Amino acid sequence: MAKHDESRRAFLVGAAVGAGAVAGTGMVSGALAQHRQHPKAAEEPEAAHGHDGGEGHGAFLNDDNAATIAAFAERLMPGAPGKPGARDADVLNYIDLALAGAYSDQQDFYRRGLAALDAYCRKTFNQPFVKLSAAQQDEVITALEQGKASEFTYPTAQAFFNAVRTHTMEGMFADPIYGGNKDFAGWKLVGFPGAQPFFTAADMQSRQAFNRAPITGLQAQAKIASRKA
Amino acid sequence: MATEKTDVVIVGAGAVGGIIAAELGKAGMKVIGLERGPRLKTADFEPHDELRYFQRQDLRPDTKRQPVTWRPNPQARARPVGSLSYGNQAGGGTVHYGALSWRMHEDDFRARSHTIERYGLSAIPQDSTIADWPVSYAELEPFYDKAEYELGVSGQAGNLAGKKVEGGNPFEAPRARDYPLPPLKMDQSGVLFEAAAKNLGFHPFSSPRAILSQPYNGRPGCTYCGFCQAFGCHVGAKSSILVTKLPEADATGNFKLVTGAMCHRVNSDNSDRVTGVSYYGPDGSDNTIEAEIVVLGTFIYDNTRLLLLSKTEKFPNGLANSSGQLGKHMMAHMMPNVFVGFEDRHVNNYMGPSAQKHTIDDFNADNFDHGGAGFVRGAQISVGTPNLEGGPLAFMSVGTPPGVPRWGAAYRDHLAKAYARHAVMVAQTENLAYGDQTIDLDPNVRDAWGMPAPRMTYDWRRPNELARVEFMMKKMEKIGRAMGGAQVWRNGLSPGAPGAHHEGGTRMGNDPNLSVVNKYGQSWDIPNLFVVGSSTFPSMSGFNPTLTIQALAFMSADAIATRYKKNPGPLL
Repeated sequence: MAKHDESRRAFLVGAAVGAGAVAGTGMVSGALAQHRQHPKAAEEPEAAHGHDGGEGHGAFLNDDNAATIAAFAERLMPGAPGKPGARDADVLNYIDLALAGAYSDQQDFYRRGLAALDAYCRKTFNQPFVKLSAAQQDEVITALEQGKASEFTYPTAQAFFNAVRTHTMEGMFADPIYGGNKDFAGWKLVGFPGAQPFFTAADMQSRQAFNRAPITGLQAQAKIASRKA
Repeated sequence: MATEKTDVVIVGAGAVGGIIAAELGKAGMKVIGLERGPRLKTADFEPHDELRYFQRQDLRPDTKRQPVTWRPNPQARARPVGSLSYGNQAGGGTVHYGALSWRMHEDDFRARSHTIERYGLSAIPQDSTIADWPVSYAELEPFYDKAEYELGVSGQAGNLAGKKVEGGNPFEAPRARDYPLPPLKMDQSGVLFEAAAKNLGFHPFSSPRAILSQPYNGRPGCTYCGFCQAFGCHVGAKSSILVTKLPEADATGNFKLVTGAMCHRVNSDNSDRVTGVSYYGPDGSDNTIEAEIVVLGTFIYDNTRLLLLSKTEKFPNGLANSSGQLGKHMMAHMMPNVFVGFEDRHVNNYMGPSAQKHTIDDFNADNFDHGGAGFVRGAQISVGTPNLEGGPLAFMSVGTPPGVPRWGAAYRDHLAKAYARHAVMVAQTENLAYGDQTIDLDPNVRDAWGMPAPRMTYDWRRPNELARVEFMMKKMEKIGRAMGGAQVWRNGLSPGAPGAHHEGGTRMGNDPNLSVVNKYGQSWDIPNLFVVGSSTFPSMSGFNPTLTIQALAFMSADAIATRYKKNPGPLL
């Protein structure tokens, strides 16, 4: 798995540099999102909340599954004015890339889980997940979380919920190089400055939010390292 | 299939292997080290990436290639555990650990006798197999000292040769001299914890860590970037074996490290000697090393598994297991957390060395009266970060305050408010040894080399251990309120599964009938076989094990170089 990650990282860095996005803030995911923008995304109504972006997929998920994951993730981490959510952070792009790469052993888990989710929603509401109201979507997610949703065998409803929750949070808070956390949306939301090379005594004595330096992602770190070398 | 000859072969190049390799190399012995993982460099650890190292555990064993299984009791079917905390590269766990470097207390070495003296035999749970160590603190002190100075440990002494020192740990056992380096800087969670603990009459101090507070031995001081536990240090300020003893071993000219080498058998001629080891190379080849001395210095699972796999006619229940104690008395620290959320200030606890930053030792060991407490032995209580690491992925992996869900708008708002405005404490509990807490070979699960996976049978939820956790939770909640937190909440514990720092499996002792090895890690049955590491611990203390593992490795190396080399045979 480690080697897989490394080669994927190399690919991502290469792709970003090729697109002219060098060591910027959140440029990688932006560049990739452009590549991955599916024509259909523009036509579809925004599920639940009307935030822009966050429709990047194509590495693994088909259109229906991508729409479901995007809607599900947005309920787990909903956006609001001044509070970026899963669509803002492009969590879908993160999960899509992860399932095509580091988490490729979970492809069947997702396919089956999404099929069970669809069956459960149609049985309960006569509609697929993406057509449900936000309140109904929350009801479905709660049933999954509590293991009360029928139609699930493998994965169990709880296992599926836990996986989507974990991967959504990864898409919110992992470095943008992995395709989510667009423009550091997740890190800005919680006040994490990324991997700073150092903190000073004054930083450590401060009772305020850290803002001495810009948020530092992997590409900026790589740039610093290459300058040193 | 290659065959090599050497004086000493060491399996595992981590906390134990690096030290013994360097010390025996200096003594003129030819040493080959076998390491199943790669040998990385400091430059490999930059940049820091929480997804890669914390969440996906890049520096740790791949649970699919190298599964370890767990079941709560012998009736249950064991399942592979989802994450493994030990090392998987040259330097072992010291590459990615939080670098806590404790000397155990004097009474930790005689936990059983001390408990009986103070509270009577009935205080010890009937089924517990807690035992005294065959080595005393005084005997190990010079080797603790050597480890602290050779590796580089930062801390505040609390007891210099019997004289109490203000600001240090008043419960510390006497040390011959001060730490080689002053304590590391305190972050805001440390500031809050220290003030609260002092107000409550406790004795807070800076946790000793193998992280350089100043330049030392050609390595730079800590940058306080906060990426310690789960990460390799990008400047080499963490005193891992990778940047301390392995270069020293190289410099002797007597050491060769073989990476990608998975040891699968300790070879024996069915006499009272071992002849060497066999290992699979990275290409799948099966290779043999013939050696005068075999040292097992892997984590507890493999120290135990290798002996179980290397059974012979003479030792049908596992090599060097005439005592029948092999694989028994496993222990693990449980790590209950209490979180403290603030409304009016930031804490930014992602800054500074990430794990167990500031400590009180008031409720550890037998540092307080356990009369009527319902349990024996204690816990170190410290303040630090969620999951010993301070990034947002660590924070999303822990529990929420009462009434706050794990997802949705309320969860988003909780993360937005609490991530940079919280402190978290952890109690590292000294769970007792029990004979039915075991490691054996899983009959159903095999690793990528075709060997049976190590299987743990373990359930921490015993009355003595549950009472200790509840006691510590209450103490931490009290400190949390004294810290001025608007919210104080607990994090749930696993249903039975072992927590951190698994220990035991090849227990050391004074009696060959009740232990696998003596205090030098030397097998009672086979004098040219040494097993060193936390697998030999008879009790675990409330402290992180690494400095004690390292001190024991120095002691074993000293005994081999000064005594065994001249006169091979039983050291006792």
